[in-house]
Amino acid sequence: METFEEFVKRILIILFWFILISPLIIFPILFLVVGFLGIDVTIVNEILTATIDPIKAYKLAERYGLGFNSTFFKIAAFPGFTFAALVATLTILYERKLMAKAQLRVGPLYAGRFEGILQPIADLFKLLGKELVVPEKADKMFFWAAPILSIGLAASLLAVIPLSPTIYIARSEFSLLIPFAIIGFSPLVVLIAAWASSNKFAFIGGLRALHQLAAYEIPMLLSILGIVILTGSFDLMKIVEAQKDMWFIFPQFLAAIIFYITILSELERIPFDLPEAETEIVSGWLTEYTGMHFGLLQLGVYMKFYALALLFTLLFLGGWNGPAFLPPIVWLLGKLFFVITIIIFPRAVLPRLRMDQLIRIGWAWLIALSFINLFIAVIESSLGVI
Amino acid sequence: MTDVVFLVVSLLTVFFAILALESRELVYGAVALSLSFLGAAALFILLDSIFIAIFQVLVYVGSIAILIVFVIMLVRRDKWANVTGGNERILGIIAAVLLFSTITYFSLSSSLTSQYPNPTAISNFYEIGSQLINDYWLILQLTGLALAVSIIGALTMAKFENR
Repeated sequence: METFEEFVKRILIILFWFILISPLIIFPILFLVVGFLGIDVTIVNEILTATIDPIKAYKLAERYGLGFNSTFFKIAAFPGFTFAALVATLTILYERKLMAKAQLRVGPLYAGRFEGILQPIADLFKLLGKELVVPEKADKMFFWAAPILSIGLAASLLAVIPLSPTIYIARSEFSLLIPFAIIGFSPLVVLIAAWASSNKFAFIGGLRALHQLAAYEIPMLLSILGIVILTGSFDLMKIVEAQKDMWFIFPQFLAAIIFYITILSELERIPFDLPEAETEIVSGWLTEYTGMHFGLLQLGVYMKFYALALLFTLLFLGGWNGPAFLPPIVWLLGKLFFVITIIIFPRAVLPRLRMDQLIRIGWAWLIALSFINLFIAVIESSLGVI
Repeated sequence: MTDVVFLVVSLLTVFFAILALESRELVYGAVALSLSFLGAAALFILLDSIFIAIFQVLVYVGSIAILIVFVIMLVRRDKWANVTGGNERILGIIAAVLLFSTITYFSLSSSLTSQYPNPTAISNFYEIGSQLINDYWLILQLTGLALAVSIIGALTMAKFENR
């Protein structure tokens, strides 16, 4: 019985020998073929050396407009999709370990030498290896579309959220509103996934998600309007700059609490996890999804997690503002880590709400409180607090 | 380039609007409707008014499409799925053609065709806010009043049905 660590080691050894031997066998054959066909050898030579030499590979990429400052790199790698997916994966591992520690368990332990650190990779291999089961009576097109839509939606949230004054994908005058406009789609994606499964549990979960997301989107948007009143701008850059002296969590404490609760609800986390309540309706709207379909849906949810935690950091915790001895991005990631921790923690300790309680909190309490918060913001801005 | 994008976007918008009406499956119709709203938002972006585009997405896709989905999910399907053909269809077509030709006639004969809005005033949302508060405050208040009345009416009707 080989452990996961040995499995990874075996694959790495195979890769190592392949890279070592391939120049000796494959390259001469390739050059013979290229010479025989009469193609310019220098281009082939350049590409082949780039596969071995990272510096040359980078120079080659830069020549074709794929360097660190190109739009493609920003969208695909940093601060775009790959970075967000990496943070999302690490969040899953961190969540499992933190919940385990809080509940006096050990959590993932065997993958990797230190505290199960390789567990995300093991999960990825497991999900990739599983069969993609599509139910016979499912709506095939929507069933396949839902995971792709979910991850596309989560990735497009990141387009206008900046990480520091210099690290961003796109700048917009309305960078605060655009993520909320995109979040408005998420009930539709859940509905597509739930309806296409043609499963009773999935459908009940989808209906619950519809109720929940529709109820909590309104206080989410209303709670941030206080900040817009205080700064007079929808631009996230300007909102963060306005927090140089005082973080908005102090004048807008009520808004921070409302926004935090709506984040929990938007991500369908305990105590608001009615749409996928495992003990009641199997796994809710995710019931019929297996293998990498499930993986993509989960990754979409956790990328949304990252985007919303980032928004909380930028809106209430001063974003990248901090003493100058560390670069801004480090301050931002540190605060982000704290926010992720406080978003994860209720899952370890709280029970689940009932449906009527959930609806009552959303429509009766949170909306009323966010209107009160708007009045507070108006009073503060007329008194000149900021 | 813009013309090609405009053509594709408007064709898609009209296609999804037709699909929303004609599709047999109501859920397909709801998704097609929200995609057609999205196409309208894209048209607003092409007109350089991104603020209105964002609110188109927020209000129409985020609220109205979701409300329609709610209704589809909560109402039993067999009650309203059987549309009888015949006279109603012809009457509907006649009414639609009449409405369309009336609107086209009046908008072409009015002074709308010779007026061009100031592009800088449109893209600036501060301008929208100050115009709403200063010039059109009465219409704004009346709209708010109408919405409040309709909400109160809906609440009373729900109360009466419960009794």
